[in-house]
Amino acid sequence: MNSPGHDAGQSAAGGQRLAEIIEEFADLEVRERLETLLDFAESLPPLPARFQAEREAGDHRVHECQTPVYLWVEVTDGRVQVYGDSAPESPTVKGFLAILVEAFSGATVADVLAVGPDLLSKLGLVEALGMVRMRGLQAILQHIRRQVVAAAATDARSQSPPT
Amino acid sequence: MAADYAHPEVLVSTAWVDEHRHDAGLRIVESDEDVLLYEQGHIEGAVKIDWHTDLQHRVVRDYIDRAAFEQLCREKGIANDTTVVFYGDKNNWWACYAFWVFKLYGHEKCLIMNGGRKRWELDGRAWTRGPESQYAATSYTAQEADPSIRAFRDEVLKHQRGGKPLIDVRSPGEFTGEMLHMPDYPQEGALRGGHIPGAQNVPWARAANDDGTFKSAKELEKIYAKECGLKRRSRIIAYCRIGERSSHTWFVLHYLLGFPNVKNYDGSWTEWGNLVGVPIAQGAQ
Repeated sequence: MNSPGHDAGQSAAGGQRLAEIIEEFADLEVRERLETLLDFAESLPPLPARFQAEREAGDHRVHECQTPVYLWVEVTDGRVQVYGDSAPESPTVKGFLAILVEAFSGATVADVLAVGPDLLSKLGLVEALGMVRMRGLQAILQHIRRQVVAAAATDARSQSPPT
Repeated sequence: MAADYAHPEVLVSTAWVDEHRHDAGLRIVESDEDVLLYEQGHIEGAVKIDWHTDLQHRVVRDYIDRAAFEQLCREKGIANDTTVVFYGDKNNWWACYAFWVFKLYGHEKCLIMNGGRKRWELDGRAWTRGPESQYAATSYTAQEADPSIRAFRDEVLKHQRGGKPLIDVRSPGEFTGEMLHMPDYPQEGALRGGHIPGAQNVPWARAANDDGTFKSAKELEKIYAKECGLKRRSRIIAYCRIGERSSHTWFVLHYLLGFPNVKNYDGSWTEWGNLVGVPIAQGAQ
């Protein structure tokens, strides 16, 4: 669970963008939240060409999600970059993915790890989408968190001087 | 071909819907797994009914009650004599779910647009992103819930003990018990994996073609009558995880193949796999 202490530790870039997105959703009616989520889905940046081969091979799929979702997480010098792709016939998943890509790109590892499973209720999506749709979306968030931890470890090794 | 189905009158083609969608006395309903697809583009004039946020009770694990169903129909401009045409994503999986709920409350004229969103898209027919059409409110009176199409757990237990046919429409991994729950979410699955003893595994999507339409009567006969040995007089219960995929199979068995006694067990694996002391089988048999 998220604690206020975590929030205080967030950097301006990542934590702030997510806070803005949460604020944007908070003021909306349920119907408008759906429309905003669709706007996000349609604004998901196209997958960089360097990931296309892995995408076509089916690698990097989030297996907990019934809908095909593909994720790549990189951490360079402590900064996170998230890339993702999903099918056009799954706009809900794509919209949530787009929110995370936008919020986490350029964020610190601590920013990402500070985001807990209550993000969906903070965005008002539990009410808009219904409880049963939360599982797949939570899986995407959890997957990113795990990947960030793994990528951060690799990043730290590459930065430490050889012994 | 449609003519070979037991009740071909419940299926309409995308071309028929395109031609008749402005007919008086007809209401088109879109029901999808993905709750944003309607906003992304829908058939002009169609209303949206979401299987979860509209058709399920918000607190109790159940469908909406009769009064809430009546209210929903009134708001969507559906009268007792309206012909309702359902369509949706994923081979009309959720369209069949909504169709089943309408039948539960006794709505007479329910149709499925064969092929759903996929066939409409493949035909190159138009989508609109406009707001949901508003229709004059109706006065709607629903029937009491029809117990002939819904199975509850005690009945399923009796059915199982009696060796009567059960069709498990989940994936083979769920059926054998290999897939117990999803990583990180043990609390959202069932505490036990496997299937109801005696059930046969026929994944629901086997009844659909690649374009989302239903397979021919001959192909369906082969799966359900020959492979599974279902007889016309059989009392059949279909189930899945929460009773959604099995609505599709219920539709196929009852309307396309004409089995008179088919029930959907909506408690399904999330109920059975959590019940204390009920029999469970694992593996392929």
